Amino acid sequence: MTHISRRDFLKLSTLAAATAASGVGKSIQWIGVRPVYAAELSPELHLLNRTTWAIRPEDIARIQAMGLEGYLDWQLNPEAIDDPAIDEFLTQFPVLTYTRQQLSDAASMDYSNVHDPALWGRLYRAAYSERQLFELMVEFWTDHFNIPIADLLTEKVMDDREVIRRHALGKFRDMLLASAQSPAMLSYLNNASSDQEHPNENYAREVMELHTLGVDGGYTEADVKALARILTGWTVGSDGEFTFNYDMHDNGEKTFLGGTFPAGRGIEDGLQALDMLATHPSTARFVSYKLCRRFVSDTPPDSLIESTTQVFVISEGDLRQVMRHILTSAEFNAAPNQKFRRPLDVMVAILRVLRDGLDIQDYSIPVWWFLEPMGQVPFYWHPPNGYPDAVGAWMNTNGLLNRWNAAMLIPLAAEGWYDGMSLDLSVFGPTPATVGELADKAIQLVLAAAIDPADRDQLIYYLSDYGDPNQPVTEGLLEERLTSLLGLLMASPYFQWH
Amino acid sequence: MITKTASRREFTKTLGMAGVVGLSSTLFPRWMPRMAFRPKRQTTPGDVLVVIFQRGGMDGLNVVVPFGEGANYYDRRPTIAIPEPDGSDQTALDLDGFFGLHPALKPLHDVYQTGQLAVVHAAGSPDPSRSHFDAMEFMERGTPGEKTTMSGWVNRHLQSSAWLNDSPFRAIGMGTMVPSSLRGSVSALALQSIADFHLSGRDDQLAVVQRTLAGLYSVAAPSDALGIQAAEVFASSDVLVRLGQAGYIPQYDAAYPDSDFGRGLQQIAQLIKSNVGLEVACVDSGGWDTHEDEGGVDGYLAGNLSDLGQGLAAFYTDLQDYMANVTVVTMSEFGRRVDENASGGTDHGHGNCMFVMGGGVNGGVYADWPGLQDEALDDGDVSITTDYRDVLSEILMKRVMNPAIDQIFPNYTPNARGIVVAR
Repeated sequence: MTHISRRDFLKLSTLAAATAASGVGKSIQWIGVRPVYAAELSPELHLLNRTTWAIRPEDIARIQAMGLEGYLDWQLNPEAIDDPAIDEFLTQFPVLTYTRQQLSDAASMDYSNVHDPALWGRLYRAAYSERQLFELMVEFWTDHFNIPIADLLTEKVMDDREVIRRHALGKFRDMLLASAQSPAMLSYLNNASSDQEHPNENYAREVMELHTLGVDGGYTEADVKALARILTGWTVGSDGEFTFNYDMHDNGEKTFLGGTFPAGRGIEDGLQALDMLATHPSTARFVSYKLCRRFVSDTPPDSLIESTTQVFVISEGDLRQVMRHILTSAEFNAAPNQKFRRPLDVMVAILRVLRDGLDIQDYSIPVWWFLEPMGQVPFYWHPPNGYPDAVGAWMNTNGLLNRWNAAMLIPLAAEGWYDGMSLDLSVFGPTPATVGELADKAIQLVLAAAIDPADRDQLIYYLSDYGDPNQPVTEGLLEERLTSLLGLLMASPYFQWH
Repeated sequence: MITKTASRREFTKTLGMAGVVGLSSTLFPRWMPRMAFRPKRQTTPGDVLVVIFQRGGMDGLNVVVPFGEGANYYDRRPTIAIPEPDGSDQTALDLDGFFGLHPALKPLHDVYQTGQLAVVHAAGSPDPSRSHFDAMEFMERGTPGEKTTMSGWVNRHLQSSAWLNDSPFRAIGMGTMVPSSLRGSVSALALQSIADFHLSGRDDQLAVVQRTLAGLYSVAAPSDALGIQAAEVFASSDVLVRLGQAGYIPQYDAAYPDSDFGRGLQQIAQLIKSNVGLEVACVDSGGWDTHEDEGGVDGYLAGNLSDLGQGLAAFYTDLQDYMANVTVVTMSEFGRRVDENASGGTDHGHGNCMFVMGGGVNGGVYADWPGLQDEALDDGDVSITTDYRDVLSEILMKRVMNPAIDQIFPNYTPNARGIVVAR
């Protein structure tokens, strides 16, 4: 083989095979990482891969001590998990615990007083919190009830605390109601300015399409218009809090999802409608589907969606029971390494892997230098559907190149490349004697699992003169290659899947 | 404060450009065939196609204003309507005595005067969905109402073209993601920034790091979708590094707006002039979901339109020596309701306007106009009388020179409107 063209690539790949001549109606197979790696992943590592943002040594020790179910139950009760790193973080950034008024005051002095800790807090909590599954649920709901931070700074910080974090592992119905009454959501999707004369349909449509029933969940354009009327008067008061304004409310009779809403009522119109949505079978199915897609695979099996939907219905939307069902299912166990890490997952995983030695004073480095070019700055997705979940949105040349760059550049903090971010690699313990051992130690640190021996050989070639794993590790070699070794592992295909 | 532009610039300064090299320019081991890229003009017979998607549902009624409707338009939009033309910059810019452009589109009106801009109204995707996400997917996959179609219409065009072009720059999505229209079995490049498209790291390690990465991703013979993307990065980076280092100065004082959209168009112009084999480029323009405080002659929508108009006009000016071989087309997932809502905005609607710009365009207004009287509306919205696939099919057949419409838009028989002349 001397030259390989793009067309040859396509022939070699499964893509061409998956696409018939017409190209219509066939799905592209986004196949996962090499099977040898997936096969070697133990159920424990698979569970940790999906319930943490990156596996750390203490995670492995815990799951070995607690067992799979014990570990899962521990993670499903985040209130009971001590979280000293986050407590410390919140004393350092008290703005994240401010009242609405305090937030508003702080933001009016300087936007960045609130904005910067909010963004950094999203990364920091994900990387440093002991409540890893909880933080993943927060991420899921942040997308599900997406609100961009741009024009709604204080409202967004309140929404993150009072809607998303308060209910992330609670009852779906409580979260839906909290969201519907959240000043951030009321303003973002314009229900706050809707009135009986000319109802604004934005929230009414999206709450059904994106938050509850799903676009094929069985509602009509007439239901959108009816719900817009039903929700008139749900607005934000002069104190910045939710209020029901009867003067804006359309108190005429309405028909919504086949039910009649009698004339002459007030806030109970909306409460009844949201209750119908929260308990609707389409909602159970749609939310279950999305959770399965996030936590199992981009194309979750119907059997799992069905059984999860049943658990959702029977438990009345108890998210702990729903998540317990998904994460202990046979379908989950059969799907290791099938999720492509999103950019935020990659960034947080890098922080989590290196965190013992990392000291970040300038958080614009992780947020704007490395995450932004990959395309997933927290709270910066503008449309109401949230950052895409599935691989098709993220696996592309721009994303991949910027993943490589983040992976290769961040370890250089150990060599003083940055003002505002340093890395002390000595915390990772004594240096192994041979390049083979060095490679294995780095593989364990970054990936927490063995890799294809052929790929391990490539790393040993990178570290050695002639590919000899027994070559001794010298100071000169460490100075030359250690940071790039860590970078290569974080840039490798293995790190992109979990 | 973590302002994004400042810190990114500082970052680039920190790194310098010393370590910037193309990925495949370093020596590979003998076992690895080099991803040679021959930057020569490919045998593409037709125009370069630039597809602009306006995300959010542009309010076509305030963009191409049917002032000739009189009360049917003005009574329904008491605070946001655009006044009928009086020759000033505070009213619509007349197109044909019935329609006028929003005054923020003055630069685009200038292009219209050259006869190389077509305005198509009451156009769109016939599926009745008022969901952004469904409507966008239907439009981009090119099969309205059909959810099982997994590839985009642009990708099927590339799949079905009769000519061979193995340039990695054949199809490009500007931004951090490849749009749905471009997804499918033909690989497309996602490109946010030419200047930043290079591997970074320690200079003394770059070559060997690249070699190792190439090995870990098996770019010589990719075995999965990720490996193919990696191979694309390797294949394209040499040329992009060279283009990035050369820099770019638009011709004829063309001034692109300082926005993602403007930067996207400018980079497409650079790629077109560099003759790297570009066939289709997709670029997004965002922020069209004007449920609230849309504004009229001034305000939010006007601001967005100025970005659109300045961007398109700069592209036209910059590429005037190339326009004979370029066609630009715009679309948005749906238009907006005729009635203004309580928030000074408009909710999701149906029919909309499209623009087609290029050397092969028969300038003018194309509207089988259904009217805005109650009985003419589609559930309160502008009816669609021109299927957007008619516009695209005509461009594909007459300008891009791909007649395989049955594969690009299956089960659809297009109806040419004479919007473009055959090459």
